[in-house]
Amino acid sequence: MIGRALAFGFALLLAGCAPVDERPTIVVQRFFGECGAAYGTSTDVAAAETECGILTTLINRFEAENPDIRVKVNVVAWPGYPQLAAQIAAGDPPDLVTMHQSVISDYAGAGLIEPVEPLLAAAKIDPAAFTPAARAGVEKEGKLYAMPWDTIGRLWHINTALMAEAGLMRGGRPVLPSSPQELLAHARQFRQRTGKPYLIQAQVSAPDFHVALLYTYLLAQDAVIFPDDRHIRLDTPEAREIVTTFRQLNAEGLTTLNQDFPAATAAFVQGEGGIFPVGTWMLGPYEAQAADPRSPLHGHYAVAPFPRLWGDQAAFVDGHAWVVPAAKRPPAERAAMARFLAFLARYNYDWSRTGQLPAFAPVVESPAFRALPHRADIAALARTGRQLPGYVERQSAVQGLIGEELEAAITGAKPVDAALKDAERRVNRLFAQMM
Amino acid sequence: MNAAARDRWAGYAFVGPFLLVYAAVLVVPLAMGLVISLHRADLFGRRAWIGLGNYTQALGDPVLHQALGNTILLALLIVPPLTVIALLLALALNRPGRFAAILRGVFFSSLVLSVTIVTLIWRFILTPDAGLIAEGLEAAGHAPIPFLSDPDLVIPAIAVTTLWWSLGFPVMLILAGLQQVPGDIYEAAALDGASRWTVLRRITLPAIRRTLLLVVMLQTAAQLQLFGQAQLLTGGGPGGASRTIVLYIFEVSFGRWELGYATAIAELLFGMIIALTLLQYWLVTRHEGQRT
Amino acid sequence: MSAHRLSPLATVLLVLGAAVMLAPMAWTLLLSFKSNAALMADSGAAFAGPYTFENYAAILKGSLTLQWLANSLVVATGAAVGVLVLSSLAGYGFARLEFPFRRTLFVIVLLGLAVPEQAVILPRHQLFAWLGLHNTYPGLILPSLTGSFGVFFMTQYFRAIPRELDEAALLDGASRFTLFWKVLLPLTLPAQATLGVFTFLAAWNDYWWPLISATTSDYFTLTVGLASAQMNYAQTSGLGFLMAQAVFASIPILIVYIAFQKQIVRAMAGTAVR
Repeated sequence: MIGRALAFGFALLLAGCAPVDERPTIVVQRFFGECGAAYGTSTDVAAAETECGILTTLINRFEAENPDIRVKVNVVAWPGYPQLAAQIAAGDPPDLVTMHQSVISDYAGAGLIEPVEPLLAAAKIDPAAFTPAARAGVEKEGKLYAMPWDTIGRLWHINTALMAEAGLMRGGRPVLPSSPQELLAHARQFRQRTGKPYLIQAQVSAPDFHVALLYTYLLAQDAVIFPDDRHIRLDTPEAREIVTTFRQLNAEGLTTLNQDFPAATAAFVQGEGGIFPVGTWMLGPYEAQAADPRSPLHGHYAVAPFPRLWGDQAAFVDGHAWVVPAAKRPPAERAAMARFLAFLARYNYDWSRTGQLPAFAPVVESPAFRALPHRADIAALARTGRQLPGYVERQSAVQGLIGEELEAAITGAKPVDAALKDAERRVNRLFAQMM
Repeated sequence: MNAAARDRWAGYAFVGPFLLVYAAVLVVPLAMGLVISLHRADLFGRRAWIGLGNYTQALGDPVLHQALGNTILLALLIVPPLTVIALLLALALNRPGRFAAILRGVFFSSLVLSVTIVTLIWRFILTPDAGLIAEGLEAAGHAPIPFLSDPDLVIPAIAVTTLWWSLGFPVMLILAGLQQVPGDIYEAAALDGASRWTVLRRITLPAIRRTLLLVVMLQTAAQLQLFGQAQLLTGGGPGGASRTIVLYIFEVSFGRWELGYATAIAELLFGMIIALTLLQYWLVTRHEGQRT
Repeated sequence: MSAHRLSPLATVLLVLGAAVMLAPMAWTLLLSFKSNAALMADSGAAFAGPYTFENYAAILKGSLTLQWLANSLVVATGAAVGVLVLSSLAGYGFARLEFPFRRTLFVIVLLGLAVPEQAVILPRHQLFAWLGLHNTYPGLILPSLTGSFGVFFMTQYFRAIPRELDEAALLDGASRFTLFWKVLLPLTLPAQATLGVFTFLAAWNDYWWPLISATTSDYFTLTVGLASAQMNYAQTSGLGFLMAQAVFASIPILIVYIAFQKQIVRAMAGTAVR
């Protein structure tokens, strides 16, 4: 037994070094990256930039204002769901977790997260103040399973200097295509005049990228993607046409190839292409670049919702939310969690500086939010944004499967037909396996 | 108590601690795994008996077949070159002197890096945007090569990364094996005027046969379980072109929550590794009984 | 030892090979001394100055890297010590003592050599959840202690020690444990060094198990912590910082390796591969 005793004794000795802390502890688990180096102890929320910076300073500030609560922050790699699954399986989940609204159904359906009405009531947060999009994102079968935090969508981030060079500016506004044919025509013209690709796209290790595109243009045509909670419909003429168009962009070299998300992000700043279709979350960082005289992007930045190419104006949106994994918790801890949520809700405007749309209607209406740059251009997103039906579970895994097949189709590794058939088959198999 | 009885209890006292840990942390999970693989089970404790259902599903799962192909291809691209390069290096470095000592240090060094650091370094060597190779190619006027996003290049790229990382241990093992070969055999051979090639083929290689077998067996088992490099460098992409079996096990268990199916795949991999190891052992040792 | 001199061709090839081994590390080192802003603006900036220590300062100032480093040290040291103790005891028992089922038990232990981690990792995750061992040091250390290799290795080593030593000591009235502790164990120190260093390295570099067992950032080991930072790279402090983290994380292990390099090769020559 000496061996075990030694091993355990040694480990316990080291583990036991921390002093005893009687305060209620809440474990907050979030993605958005780690930026302790830049924002380590800062509590200046207004001065912080980027999602990571704003949330880090927010939590620092909460700790400073609430010395009677101990906050343990657990930063996970985006999106952190395998880790959360491992934690729940281990019976040791965190207290508050950032979750995409599209993922909530999975956890709610399996009883792994709690309805949050009691917590919201304790925090004096009125669910009537949620924007319709935010509310739709967190309400499953009549119950609220999260406090919504924002609405995120995809935008076209546009380099107006290159668009002007390509002859695609009119009256100081970029001219955007209104049909797939026009999209290809613009892209060819752009390529010819600037020698650069029209689109910058993250096509490597970014499965969500093409899927958001496909969902957006299917929803715009009112195509039924999920006829019920166990089936998907992707082998359709609509889907084939959308994917074929984007395959064509790749085949003609009208978009950047082989970039992952970090590479594409940097490529846009360096002016290596005209338009970067990516999320609202890049609005804040790119604004900062556009305001910086040393940046190649200086003064040449505009945004727009995805243009109408098929059907109506529509956009697939999602959102972030704070969920509570189901667990027994003492009342003091629940009270501390309520205070944390109330605090976050008060700072929803600061979060919207990242580029995301606020989750609380009064913030959307507030002059401060309206005064932020470009928000008028993307207000349409709040109106036209649509999510997948609430009964669709495993959206993250589904997105991974479709994304993989789309990647193969768009890079030409697989014919479009075959990729869509395979995606449909794989998703349906996933649904069939669900317990 | 007589001495034999005392020895008996002493024996259990000495081997007991290890056996306890071994039973609790290895044997019990091994048995649990067999049981779980016969259930449709999710990560959170829900179970339903389905017999061999998970195994029949595995037979018809094209994604698993692709992962199996990728894994085998990786093992083939890694194990033979690794063994040959390690053998050549060990032969060259098995000599006294400062030069050889420094080079031994250099060739062992990557072995101490963790997979996270290895992939971090190699990502920024291979990436076509700012990678070391891309910078070199651009300086020479060539277009960068998208190693990590071309389905045909991604497996070789992971193989090269793994070769770079894994070289140290086999070199060490073979060096140790070479130092076991008695020096007088070489002296005798030198007196007979044997060429270096003859010495290598007739004396050295037979003498370190067991060591080489060990290297191949260990590396085969290790590369069939390749996980971190694929997960961190490519996430299995593009389009699953670099998904390995273990990465698939990770995705199925913690991404899709299908614990039963993931466990069944793990059992199949287990069987495959054992079979291959035994096969290699048999191929190398089957003639030895007659020779000695 | 081969008495032949290296041919010029072989020397050139060796030096080239060494350059291939070192270039990635040198590249990492260069990047780690560049400011993140400079790398964001121009990827080729690594080859020219100015260089800076800001990334290293940032690690020491405000990141979790130091905590992860401590965790890795605890886990790897715990694994090495645990394996040495358990394997030495068991190795002695199997090599020297007669007890019922000794052979059977030894064969069962040897069969463990053939069990890959994959065959047990998922059920072990369930088992440890049930025992409440996740996000604890014992939970991270215990799986390393099941390695059959250590027991096999130490058994071989004890068998190679002449039995006359035991008999002399037992005649002097020493107990089994005294014999083991005072007489035989000191003779196995070279083997202990090898086994210890390899266990330490394996535990230090382990990725799969800590990835699913250590799920809160204060129990991350360096491998898992750096992986989370790496996957967050798009949203994080930048390339220079990541590379500085990598360099910083490699320093302790490089020291261990350099300190023990001679023992490793020598002891391996003595026992490992017969």
